[in-house]
Amino acid sequence: MPLNFQRRFRWKGGQVIVNLSDDEQQILANVLPQLRELVMAETDPVLRRLSPVARPDDDEAETGYREMVDNDLLRSRLEAIETVEAGIGGTALDGEGVSAWMHSLNALRLVLGERLDVEILGNDALQNLSDDDDRVGVVALYEWLGWLLEQLVVAAMNGLEEGDS
Amino acid sequence: MTAPIAAPDVRTDESTALDHPWKVIVWDDPINLMSYVTFVFRKVFGYSEEKANRLMMEVHVEGRSVVASGSREKAELDVFRLHEHGLWATMEQDS
Repeated sequence: MPLNFQRRFRWKGGQVIVNLSDDEQQILANVLPQLRELVMAETDPVLRRLSPVARPDDDEAETGYREMVDNDLLRSRLEAIETVEAGIGGTALDGEGVSAWMHSLNALRLVLGERLDVEILGNDALQNLSDDDDRVGVVALYEWLGWLLEQLVVAAMNGLEEGDS
Repeated sequence: MTAPIAAPDVRTDESTALDHPWKVIVWDDPINLMSYVTFVFRKVFGYSEEKANRLMMEVHVEGRSVVASGSREKAELDVFRLHEHGLWATMEQDS
């Protein structure tokens, strides 16, 4: 089977095995530093999507909440990006590794989705962009990340305990 | 994954109302994958696949769902973990 049709994440021996193609490794290696930069700059409005308001009813409480969690959230994001970068070439993920990959892939999707104005355009409109629209490349990246994340979810589901509630 | 180092918050206006638990709400958004949202509910809350899926569908169809409730500290931690996963979560006190 050609590599292109192989799963990028699969469950084996209690871990998720990561197996990206060379092209995909390069793409991730290229976009992750951009995500890091964006997260660290803490100024881009798109970050509101990564750190949404927790207490819309109470500005004062929101300020307190942000003071309490923002550093932890930032550190968690940066550590997750680092974990992914370290495993791009192929690795086996435990639970924490899975979380790091999920957080990072999903953060990339959120940022790109915001940039593409998915909320305004709707997902269907994005499928029908004309070929010369300069958003076509970003849409392809966005959809590829969704495809990757979906596979990671399917693989990682094997590691979830069935809850009782 | 790191847990937040949640400094106890001693502002009292809210914590005095012990009778009213806090609700954690997840809102619909067009970006997050449905399968991913279900996965996150299972992982963060330990819910069964059936329950996680039901809550995800509620978010998707109704636009929001109360996914957990409890003390303010617990709600804050839940919201933190949901934000860490990229979900759009808020908390409010039950009235």
